[in-house]
Amino acid sequence: MKVNGTNWLILATALFLSVALFNQCSDKSPASLPKTVDFNFHVRPILVKNCYLCHGPDSSSREADLRLDTFEAATALREGDIFAIKPGKPGKSAVIHRINSDDPDKLMPPPASNLSLTEREKAILEKWIDQGAEWKPHWAFIKPEKPEIPSVKNQEEIANKVDAFVLAKLEEQQLPIAPIANKYTLIRRLAYVLTGLPPHPADIEKFVNDSSPDAYEKLVDQYLNSLRFGERWARHWMDLVRYAETKGHEFDYPVQGAWQYRDYLIRAFNEDVPYPQLVKEQLAGDLLESPRWNKENGRNESQLGTLFYTMLEGKHSPVDLVIDESERIDNMIDVTTKTFQALTVACSRCHDHKFDPIPTTDYYALYGIMKSSRFSVKDANFTLEKAENLAELNQIKDEIRKLTARAWLEEVPLPVQAASIQETENDTETGYTLLGDFRNGDLSGWQSSGLAFGQHTTLGEPKFDSQSQRLVSFSEGQASSRQISTEIVGALRSPDFTITEDFITVRAKGKESFIRVIIDNFQLIQDPIYGELDMEVDDSKWRNYTVDVSPWKGHIAYLEIIPGYFERHYYKLPKDAYVEVAYALAYNGDLPSPLPLTGSADQNLSATISRWVDRKSSASDIQYLNQQLRRKSVYVPSAEINTLLQRQRELAQSLTDSAYFTGLTNGFEINSPVFLRGNPKTLSKETVPHRFLSSLSEDGLTFTSGGSNRKELAEAIVNPDNPLTSRVMVNRLWHHLFGRGIVETVDNFGLQGKLPTHPALLDYLAVKFQEEDGSVKEMLKLMVMSNTFQRAVVTDSLALSRDPENLLLSGYSLRRLEAESIRDGMLAVSGQLDPTMFGPSVSIHLTDFMQGRGRPRDSGPLDGNGRRSIYVEVRRNFLSPMMLTFDRPIPFSTFGKRNVTNVPAQSLMLMNDPLVLEQAKRMAQRLVDQTELDTRERIQQIYLWAFARPAREEEVAKAIAFLEQQAQEHKAEDISTSVAVWKDYCHTIFNMKEFIYLI
Amino acid sequence: MSGNRHIIHQSISRRQMLGACGSGFGSLAFVSLFGGLGAACQRAEKLSPPEVVSGAHPHYIPKAKSVIFLYMDGGVSQVDSFDPKPRLAQENGEDPYKKFKVDNTQFDNIGKILKSPWEFKQYGECGMPVSELFPHIATCVDDLALVRSMTSEFPEHTNANYFLHTGSGLQGRPSMGAWVTYGLGSENNDLPGYVVLDGGLVPPGGLDNFNSGFLPASYQASVLKGQAVPLANIKPLDDPTIQDSKLDYLKQVDQSLIGKLGHADAVESAISNYELAYRMQASVPELTEFATESKATKKLYGFDSDDPHTRGYAAQCLLARRLVERGVRFIERTCPSVEAVRCDQHNILRDGHERNAHAVDQPIAGLLKDLKSRGLLDETLVVWTGEFGRTPFAQGKDGRDHNPSAFSMWMAGAGIKGGTIFGQTDDYGYRVVENKVSIHDLHATMLHLLGIHHEKLTFHFSGRDIRLTDVHGHVIHDILA
Repeated sequence: MKVNGTNWLILATALFLSVALFNQCSDKSPASLPKTVDFNFHVRPILVKNCYLCHGPDSSSREADLRLDTFEAATALREGDIFAIKPGKPGKSAVIHRINSDDPDKLMPPPASNLSLTEREKAILEKWIDQGAEWKPHWAFIKPEKPEIPSVKNQEEIANKVDAFVLAKLEEQQLPIAPIANKYTLIRRLAYVLTGLPPHPADIEKFVNDSSPDAYEKLVDQYLNSLRFGERWARHWMDLVRYAETKGHEFDYPVQGAWQYRDYLIRAFNEDVPYPQLVKEQLAGDLLESPRWNKENGRNESQLGTLFYTMLEGKHSPVDLVIDESERIDNMIDVTTKTFQALTVACSRCHDHKFDPIPTTDYYALYGIMKSSRFSVKDANFTLEKAENLAELNQIKDEIRKLTARAWLEEVPLPVQAASIQETENDTETGYTLLGDFRNGDLSGWQSSGLAFGQHTTLGEPKFDSQSQRLVSFSEGQASSRQISTEIVGALRSPDFTITEDFITVRAKGKESFIRVIIDNFQLIQDPIYGELDMEVDDSKWRNYTVDVSPWKGHIAYLEIIPGYFERHYYKLPKDAYVEVAYALAYNGDLPSPLPLTGSADQNLSATISRWVDRKSSASDIQYLNQQLRRKSVYVPSAEINTLLQRQRELAQSLTDSAYFTGLTNGFEINSPVFLRGNPKTLSKETVPHRFLSSLSEDGLTFTSGGSNRKELAEAIVNPDNPLTSRVMVNRLWHHLFGRGIVETVDNFGLQGKLPTHPALLDYLAVKFQEEDGSVKEMLKLMVMSNTFQRAVVTDSLALSRDPENLLLSGYSLRRLEAESIRDGMLAVSGQLDPTMFGPSVSIHLTDFMQGRGRPRDSGPLDGNGRRSIYVEVRRNFLSPMMLTFDRPIPFSTFGKRNVTNVPAQSLMLMNDPLVLEQAKRMAQRLVDQTELDTRERIQQIYLWAFARPAREEEVAKAIAFLEQQAQEHKAEDISTSVAVWKDYCHTIFNMKEFIYLI
Repeated sequence: MSGNRHIIHQSISRRQMLGACGSGFGSLAFVSLFGGLGAACQRAEKLSPPEVVSGAHPHYIPKAKSVIFLYMDGGVSQVDSFDPKPRLAQENGEDPYKKFKVDNTQFDNIGKILKSPWEFKQYGECGMPVSELFPHIATCVDDLALVRSMTSEFPEHTNANYFLHTGSGLQGRPSMGAWVTYGLGSENNDLPGYVVLDGGLVPPGGLDNFNSGFLPASYQASVLKGQAVPLANIKPLDDPTIQDSKLDYLKQVDQSLIGKLGHADAVESAISNYELAYRMQASVPELTEFATESKATKKLYGFDSDDPHTRGYAAQCLLARRLVERGVRFIERTCPSVEAVRCDQHNILRDGHERNAHAVDQPIAGLLKDLKSRGLLDETLVVWTGEFGRTPFAQGKDGRDHNPSAFSMWMAGAGIKGGTIFGQTDDYGYRVVENKVSIHDLHATMLHLLGIHHEKLTFHFSGRDIRLTDVHGHVIHDILA
């Protein structure tokens, strides 16, 4: 780490208040200036807002060759004996003259910029220079250290250390604190923030009547351990990763297995997977040496994390593939850096970041990492058992070879005869480029992902005659997707190559499978334009599959061989599908055929056999062995081999799969050049090696593990020295509990983000989070156990007037529930909530207003089958109107903080949406069915469900008056049996502000 | 505050809006480094929530109060409509590769040079040539400023649509209508400020073309359909008296909550939204009640046409005028779903373009004339454009592929110099050779006419002050009166 701990916090803590509360009052008198001007809290915000566009880190837009973002540059002697800033001497600092100038040509910031400094801001700058113009790194780049716990007078108000930090500031400002909320308020608040659902009446009764000192803590533990907890917190996370199940654009193609990622998150939050592990799995879950196996079913959880990357938009037939790739990778960088580091690295795409110390080379270091990754269909149900079975299978194959070799050599040795094997030298003037040759034993440097293609070609696989128990022959070499069995997913991909020749031919055979040319990582292959890049293989005889790639000369491409096919970009693997490939080459003019085989055999049987045992045979070796076998087949003792063969078949069967997702896999390492001004058509000569952000890592430290190096990227992010990772996450948790982060801009901790309201508290929590191995549940428990969380909403007029936004947390901030909680709450209260967890999403309900291309043929159920909102499908082009209206973000980038709008469309929805009315009716029916309850009891029950409290006497009276009035309207004689009357009542309940606000 | 209003206000940002009033445009959404602008400002406290919150000052005296954006979904062929190219007839059937550099196209099926199947004639005092496709619009040419040098950056529908609507080719950015209402608010208390009249075709890219992106959801379009229930959830499912009594009871209960909380902006705003929503239940359906419109007016729009698509589009155009009359700020018209499917003729150009043009031609001319006769054209900007143009060579035999390198767009109304032709394409109408105009320029000009300086209308998101025009855009002064 470049920057290291200073005592910035102590000062910052003292200073925040003066800034937060008084800055807005435009107080210009010097008396109101801080005693000690702090760079991070007072000065930098002024410079960022007014100066850095022209005098910041980006050299391309720098004016007058002056930068004010580093001490050295700002205080350097300039031409004409001038100092922009001379520490201690405001009178000799040109900056001070310029900001006070009367001459519009000299005045800074220039009038044309529409920026201007207030008198107070000018005074702060002057005082800061006078006090020595001390410079500090941006607060977020200084590693957090455990701060001292502040001392407070009001010790009895402290439930845990969180309170000390909050209370210290409140005492300093002499703000009155709100009392602890009543138990009804508490349980409703706690249930909603931890589980997203209203509390169950039984739990309310229990809690309210539990007078033990740990009643609240028991409740906290209950909700933290509830299965509903994961559903709530997974959805928060899904806002960060632009979770969607389709790719949007023209035809809204599917993101295969997206829901598997949703379920992965729910399980992970419920199991309290340590945060660093969660980070690593999402960034590099495919590369972890020891993946996390699901405790119940043994599945590989880690690999599902990489679906994080695949929630991308996908364009139908982009005309320019280079631009398309750059847009995709830009989004990957944007989401990755915002989600885990709260930095807007994507701003550095075209130029150095205007405000943050993020040079454009940082962006292209990450670009190379993303470019070196490949999207790949994977087995969603890969288990530890499969991994073990695969290992056993490979052992058995080796064993069979050994046994066979022994049997062979023990038999009567054959006379050594000169075999007439065609040996051909590799012709140097071939006129073609060999992209891959699988007729020998190795995979020609191609990458085999998944199990289908294994790690070798089929060369030398022994074939036995079960009748005669004899070794009959050895397979020739080819890459085969059914080496183990059919119904196993996998892909074989060539290294990247630049297209320089007109044609690519792949010699292959197979059934219901495809060979694809992937250009610029573009996989949504589709007519028009790209259809021919996808070659169907459906012939059991060897054929040459040729594609004319001349339109894409100069592009970077790779070949991809996959058993099965994509139907509207949804992967399918039919029962008997397979593909086998002999070789692939690129050429101009005519196809060179047949392609000569390379290598030779030394014609020594025992040496050849022993090479075979070691899997080092050449194609000629196998030809030679087959010649020998044709002359005299070898008898192999049956019992042992047969047992092994039988076991091999069983194991192969156990490895078949049927559920798929698109995850990430390593490609070949590509370093990216810088795109000049962000244009992928104008490239720098130099490329940038894979590495992490320069401000957050040792100078010049580049990644070396190869491929995409994503694992090293993940390690850099979870490195305990990283100043951002823990802060960013605890701040997100705080945001979701309190409605506002300690740093309000939860996705931007850069210079343009907001400063923390409680910097010491933030650091305390960040360090604690690390000490507790990133346990989200422990951290949440600490937060909700504080008195700060348990306070009533602020109603004190002094507190409201002095701190109207409740920055200092003198009480709890009133907030509206999120879209999901409103809908789920409605289902819970109406008794329709289906608690079923996991699985494919419920189709989105399509209204008349949801039209356009890619519209599904059938609409989903109006009520989403009563499932929680997290289980309802997210189609990019057909987003749920209810979710949108109540501010669920459009999934295109990271949204750690939702908008909270207040619009008539929300009222219209609750007043007139068929879903709301339907739920009201079902709830009414349920009440009417409860014949044992009288009207009052029913009202009380509704209040308990909807508002988690009993109704007051006057509320009951009003409700009864309303019911009687509606009975007249409906001409109902008996209120207790009229569904229509109760429906009206239930409907108003859903419309009540108390229902959609957390109070 | 010039009567410009945000009818739809946010509890959270209300204070920020008010606090930002003094610092002018753009800062409206400026996020202070120190939490909430002017949160201590006294003025905020004095405003009770149901009060209408004024928007910001326009930067200039606005020429236009409203915009009607006539979106020609799929891309009308410029060489068949407003940009005649005799050379296509001379070289009909010849190989385009021998004539000029041919770009890759969406369908990669490049045929021969294809002459326009339609004749052009000069119209009006200005003598602007218009093809037979648009005989009615042709009668309005003296009110039109035609730009023949439009360009886009994307040859695919979805990206080009996002680009045309949001200034960015990617999903998720705020639509121009959202920007305009964010900047100016609405002038009507009972209707949303940004309305999309869904004629039947939602453009590729979906409803996100009309969304508010990272702007608050308050600014997203309300999609109105020409049907019994024109807006989602606008029709009460209850009997009116039932609903009234529910709302009365609701109000009582909600008010007592306010009493308990003392002071809660957000809740108060939410309560007042019910009043607006309730009024919208009446005011929105009233929009489509055309009984008060004269026969002559209806005829002018094409209500008596034999073509059902013309009749449908005519009703929507009349609706657009009624929205303008009621102070709605930004109205977009999407295309009718003609059997041939949008103006996107990849084959059988002749039939498809003819049918699409027939559906919109008379209604659009009727709209222009009706606005003019009512004195509304002076304060309404009408914009007619597709997301890109089409190739001068055939796709296959008789279609035309997408062409982002040149297309024609016209504007009429407020602040527009009628009878103008701006920009020029090459002899084939394939590329722009003079006065190139970008989508950003179009947006800058539209904002300009609304009184907004496009560089000053910003919203802070993702570390940047983002504009509708990104870092580009020049007002097309030559077409302004």
